[in-house]
Amino acid sequence: MEDYKFLFKVVLVGNAGVGKTCLVRRFTQGLFPPGQGATIGVDFMIKTVEVDGEKVKLQIWDTAGQERFRSITQSYYRSAHALILVYDISCQPTFDCLPDWLREIEEYANNKVLRILVGNKTDREDREIPRHIGEDFAQRHGMYFLETSAKEAENVERLFMEIAVDLMEQAKCKELPKYDGSLGPLNGKTTSVNDSSCCLRS
Amino acid sequence: MSLTLLLEKYDVSTEEGLQKALNKIEKEEAEVDEALSNALSRACTLEGRLRTASQAYTKLGEVRNDAQVAANMVDKTAALAKDVSAKVRQLDLARSRVAECQRRVHDLIDLRVCSAGVETAIKAHDYETAAGHVARFLSMEPGSVAAARARGVADPRRDMDAAASTLRDHLVRKFEEASKREDDTAVERLFKLFPQIGRAEEGVDLYAKYLASQLESAVRRAGAVERSSEAGAFAAALTRALEAGAAHVERARLLLAAHAPAHTLLPRALAHLQPKVCAGARRICADMMSARRAGEAAPAGDARAVEPPLCELALAHERLQLYFAFLRKRPELTTNLTEAEKEKCLAEIEKIILECEITRVAQDVLSQYLTLERYFLEESVNKALKLSSAQSGATGSSLVDDVFYIARKVIRRGISTGSVDGACAVLNEAGAQLERCGAALRRRLAAPPPDPLPLPPPPPHDRPRAPPRDDAPRALYLALTNEAESGAEWAEALAEQAVREAEALWRGAGGAGGAAGAGQAGGRDKLRSCAAGLGAAAGAFRAARDLALAALRTALLPALTAWAHALVDPDTDDDELSEEAGALPAALDVLADAARAQLPASADALLAALLADLLARAEDALLRNHYDRRGGLCVERRVRRLATWAGGNAPGARERAGALAAAAALLALEKLAHVHEALPPAALPPARVRDVLARRTDFKLEDIKRLKL
Repeated sequence: MEDYKFLFKVVLVGNAGVGKTCLVRRFTQGLFPPGQGATIGVDFMIKTVEVDGEKVKLQIWDTAGQERFRSITQSYYRSAHALILVYDISCQPTFDCLPDWLREIEEYANNKVLRILVGNKTDREDREIPRHIGEDFAQRHGMYFLETSAKEAENVERLFMEIAVDLMEQAKCKELPKYDGSLGPLNGKTTSVNDSSCCLRS
Repeated sequence: MSLTLLLEKYDVSTEEGLQKALNKIEKEEAEVDEALSNALSRACTLEGRLRTASQAYTKLGEVRNDAQVAANMVDKTAALAKDVSAKVRQLDLARSRVAECQRRVHDLIDLRVCSAGVETAIKAHDYETAAGHVARFLSMEPGSVAAARARGVADPRRDMDAAASTLRDHLVRKFEEASKREDDTAVERLFKLFPQIGRAEEGVDLYAKYLASQLESAVRRAGAVERSSEAGAFAAALTRALEAGAAHVERARLLLAAHAPAHTLLPRALAHLQPKVCAGARRICADMMSARRAGEAAPAGDARAVEPPLCELALAHERLQLYFAFLRKRPELTTNLTEAEKEKCLAEIEKIILECEITRVAQDVLSQYLTLERYFLEESVNKALKLSSAQSGATGSSLVDDVFYIARKVIRRGISTGSVDGACAVLNEAGAQLERCGAALRRRLAAPPPDPLPLPPPPPHDRPRAPPRDDAPRALYLALTNEAESGAEWAEALAEQAVREAEALWRGAGGAGGAAGAGQAGGRDKLRSCAAGLGAAAGAFRAARDLALAALRTALLPALTAWAHALVDPDTDDDELSEEAGALPAALDVLADAARAQLPASADALLAALLADLLARAEDALLRNHYDRRGGLCVERRVRRLATWAGGNAPGARERAGALAAAAALLALEKLAHVHEALPPAALPPARVRDVLARRTDFKLEDIKRLKL
């Protein structure tokens, strides 16, 4: 019935107001809705992308950042293939909460889940968290790192495409790569992502 | 007729011929004469006609002149008519102006009557008449009033405005008095006057405030919880409070529906009423949540103790959702609104719902419900796991029965919250716990007990069987294997059932309007996707079953290997042959009976796999032994019996048994030349045929090589 070869669940988490919904809307609908209200519970969107000529269906779960929805959002961690942890580069508290989010991920998510740290709102002038701080944090915790702007559509497509490519490689290898060492293949990937994004920026 | 023709036709050499020709000529002459005279007579008529034509021509000229005159006349008439109609139009305009003037005169007369009338009506406490006067004033054209002023009359508007505001003050005072007396009829009568004096919104505010004060006490009365320890006491109080709120909203709607613009008045009234509902509901829910939170900790480990609070939280959340659905349906029920007005009204109401306090209260209730539900689910599953490992073999209740009973109950309760997000989260949690059970089963099935299924050993080595050991671990192992099998099926069935039952979520929110349509489709997809997550649990159960079946195969392998060797054993006593050939089918019957009795769902697959193991080993052994014809005959007979058994009992292994039977038939050949008769076409590849034949000590290798296959 449906024409796709792989189906991956991608879950976005992070404090309220960091731009999770905007990232998803930008990627799935190509628009930036100004004055986006707070997400209630969990929103669900689907986008099919093509990787190496194969259709990959991304099921994107956009969770509410507010505390009162935590018991709903936590239930989605377990079945996620990839978790995108988002913070706002112009808002220190959203970065300071990352360890709490990681604890939550440790507790509820599969330990093989692909984890990506995203610093959103690079279009803002009032940056509070320098890029290298985010990078360091990601590296320490064995995560991919990317800075994005949902408003300017910067790196959004790439974020999801990298995830699709990576998950497809994992699925193809069947035997999932050993992520337990956390600094194995992941680390190499992290640098490559960073390198290329540096090139893009210069 | 020409002369030459005459000459040809008639023989002029004879007299007779000449005579005939002459006659003919005469006849023609007469005809020509006649024709000529005819022509001559026509010339006369022609002349006559020409004359008439020339006369007609002159007449036509006259007619033309006449026509020209007539045309000019018509033109002139048309011009005249045009002039006339323009005059008529002017007359019309003048008449309408006169009518307008008359109306204004009436207005002016009324205006005097009105401003005086309002005062007298107020004095007479006849507010209906006073309001009627004001309404009349408001319906007047501003032009009339301006005209009145232009004529030097003291500005009537000032008087009128003053009168209207006096009336308003009186009405407000009367309204307040009536509302203090709680005189519903007076309040409603007075409210109806406000739209007439052009102050509908002020009226709505007053009326809504009056309703709100009534509602406040109603909610307080309804929300009183006498015995908070009683199960469901808070949910019942919340229901009563919300019902009171709904009743007041409906009362406002019915009264406002008749007054334009109803689509803005209803949300305006709701804005006054909603805070009272919120305050009451918030208080009840806060009490409920603190009372039920304390209940959670009390009897540690006893998951059943949290069930009543769980049901209450779910019910409370469902009631809140129901109240929202009730509000959303109001514009639809107000029949005198246009579609656009209904939409506007619904959008306003939606905004009030989104911003009101009980929306957040509902979210908190749901959050606590989910936390508690997760606790219940985890504890219940822990208990089921503990119970199932304690009662080894006792088949009183099974792990899978227990956990699916729990999962179904929890999912139903999740759906009963009336929230798609709640139902989805519960489905996710249930999936996680079921997957955990699948993994636990898998761990328990990793190591099978010795002799999990009975398979008697081959006869020649008939050692005394080990004394029957404790059957309990064996029975438990097989029972768990069955549970893993049914767990996989149940997980899938549960997912379907959940999707079916969740349809109620959309029925409940029915009539929520077009805006919710897209949300509904999204909600359905979301729920389906979460239900599909139970497939992972089915996978875990299936993995456990596969592991168990593989372990069973490994456990039976030594016995099967012994049978494989016995099957292709070249040295056998002829005397025992017939009895011995039936030994393996008999042993397999024992195995198959036991498997079918104890693993009904997976017995066939297991038997096929076991037989495949046996046949593979027999094939290997056959290629290592040496046979004479007698030995070959024995093997052939035994394998044929086995192939027959496989045909009836393990269709999956029939082909492989057939191949072994073909190989055995080769071993039993009398002469090498008979190969083609013995072998069914394409039963074995040629290389294999040569390998098998080479095992016969009495066949020469060169002869075998020379065989055409």
